[in-house]
Amino acid sequence: MSTLTGTPATATTASGRRPRLRGMTWLVWRQHRAAFWTVLGATALLATWILYRRGQMLDFLGDQGWPGKDIAEFDEKFEPYAAAFGPVTTALGMIPVLLGVFVGAPLLAGDLEHGTARLVATQSRSQVRWLATKLGVTALVVVASTVTLSVAFGSWWGPVKDQINVMDWTSGPSFDTTGPVPVALTLFTVIGGVAIGLVLRRTLAAMVVTFGFAVLVQFVWGELRLALGDVVTVTTHKGVLGEDTFPRLPDAAYQIDQSYLTGSGELIGWSTCVHESTEQARELCLKQADVVGWSVDYLPLSQMTGMQWLGAAILLALTAAVTAFLFLWGRKRLV
Amino acid sequence: MSDGTYAGGPALEAVGLGKRYRRGWALRDCSFRLPAGRICGLVGPNGAGKTTLLGIAAHVLEPTEGTLSVFGAAPGSAEAGRRTAFLAQDKPLYRTFTVAETLRLGRELNPGWDQRAAEGIVRAGNVPLDARIATLSGGQRTRVAFALAFGKRPDLLLLDEPMSDLDPVVRHELMGTLMAEAAERGSTVLMSTHVLAELESVCDYLVVVAQGGVRLAGDVDELLYAHTRVSGARNGEGVPADLAHHTVVESRTGGRQFSALIRAEGPLAGPWDTDSPTMEELLLAYLRSTGAPPLITPTAEVRTGTQAVAA
Repeated sequence: MSTLTGTPATATTASGRRPRLRGMTWLVWRQHRAAFWTVLGATALLATWILYRRGQMLDFLGDQGWPGKDIAEFDEKFEPYAAAFGPVTTALGMIPVLLGVFVGAPLLAGDLEHGTARLVATQSRSQVRWLATKLGVTALVVVASTVTLSVAFGSWWGPVKDQINVMDWTSGPSFDTTGPVPVALTLFTVIGGVAIGLVLRRTLAAMVVTFGFAVLVQFVWGELRLALGDVVTVTTHKGVLGEDTFPRLPDAAYQIDQSYLTGSGELIGWSTCVHESTEQARELCLKQADVVGWSVDYLPLSQMTGMQWLGAAILLALTAAVTAFLFLWGRKRLV
Repeated sequence: MSDGTYAGGPALEAVGLGKRYRRGWALRDCSFRLPAGRICGLVGPNGAGKTTLLGIAAHVLEPTEGTLSVFGAAPGSAEAGRRTAFLAQDKPLYRTFTVAETLRLGRELNPGWDQRAAEGIVRAGNVPLDARIATLSGGQRTRVAFALAFGKRPDLLLLDEPMSDLDPVVRHELMGTLMAEAAERGSTVLMSTHVLAELESVCDYLVVVAQGGVRLAGDVDELLYAHTRVSGARNGEGVPADLAHHTVVESRTGGRQFSALIRAEGPLAGPWDTDSPTMEELLLAYLRSTGAPPLITPTAEVRTGTQAVAA
């Protein structure tokens, strides 16, 4: 198609080294520049704050003799540094919802509502190119923002990621804010918002529905997060009542389930015999039930990266599917 | 490619064109051709499908049935998109853009952009280039939208109610610009309007659409020549017998006077005063009497192979 082989997206002017936007890219950037600059500016502020808090924390740890000493030994002196993660992870957790509602939903809905989609459609460039440029520039801004924050936050939390009292690695505040997850989660929510805007063709309605969609995505994602891992089961055969009978799990492992193991290999609930009044009665009861040890299901911290990439891959596949829908629907209804 | 002297084919051709919305048909059975280089008025009552027809030609709407071609190409093609400019009725513009940025939009998205022509139209109205679109008056906004359409240097300019929110002086001036541009470049213009007086001074071609399709299409001179206004003393009810073998478009009686607009199918007999109608009279007659048989002159007639579609 001749319209797809037009002027290059950027060209350097003779006078300055600053690249000058051209063609469709210029139009998309100009139209949404307030939103894009807000996103990039807020990203820079938040990333700066994260790096500042990271510096503070590392300074403290260094003064205390870390990494030679275990962080658990610092007790309440470390508490303010652990607490500093709270508000930042809350802010990071809201990013997919905020960008979906304020960047994704109005992206096409605004043009469809105000007729400017028709204005663009009646110029000499194809609508497919317009759609592709809009999605491309928006995705670029979203990825730049979320990658920056993910890397910054990862460098802050990384040194203390095995400290369960700072954050549990399977929880949203850490799992959804590091690695590829925030990028994929935000992209999916934003592209979903764009699709909602394309179908509803009204900015406000699209923003409201996108908010609901984004919250639903967060909820479903929270429910599915643990399913991404490969559960490890450890069993013991030293009884269940003694001192060291419970299996040792690796540091920061997330325990999913625990039960009693019987001689025949069956699992029974760990509340079996718990109501016996004396120690002897309980021992007898357990013997009758043929309990020989513990069986514990857990996810080790070493699986975190794999789980994050698997989850991100699923989200990106969904994003690709929504993008395909955008192009199919947009070919007919983009005016 | 875009020298405007398109030889052979028409600038625009509609064959059996129809568009149905959820509420019913907005346009139906619309067939006509518009030769290149003409300035054509598109007239019809509200809801006759004028905007729909222009929207299909500008490829912002898809027809439900039939076809429309622009210089022989489909409206969605790159060729048709480059050669056509469309000024929609609501004149959509980006409200946060300045006038200069709006013109830059035209420059960035159109290969044949004429910045001088576009700026000239804006400057003629004393619209500051650094003003935001949102701060402009309705008329100023229309002028910017006009500049955007003209700057594209189109071979076919589609205008939907272009002058509805302009004062008479500006209207006159922009019409003058339109005429000069069209004449200089040999562009074709298809313009819907309610202002019949505007048509008389500007258009040399006419398409009238109403319920059921095209009522009138062709060269203005030919259309006027084909019709005669007759008047005389009234005798009896209804159409007098000696007019019966002509096509009576509209007749009216006032007191002892009978007058009618007819398409003479032969020599006119009887004690009638005859007169040539004005374009306004012709249009009003066709708009009022929906039952009158349509007239499509040969230049506007669609010929598809052996079969003539328009009756």
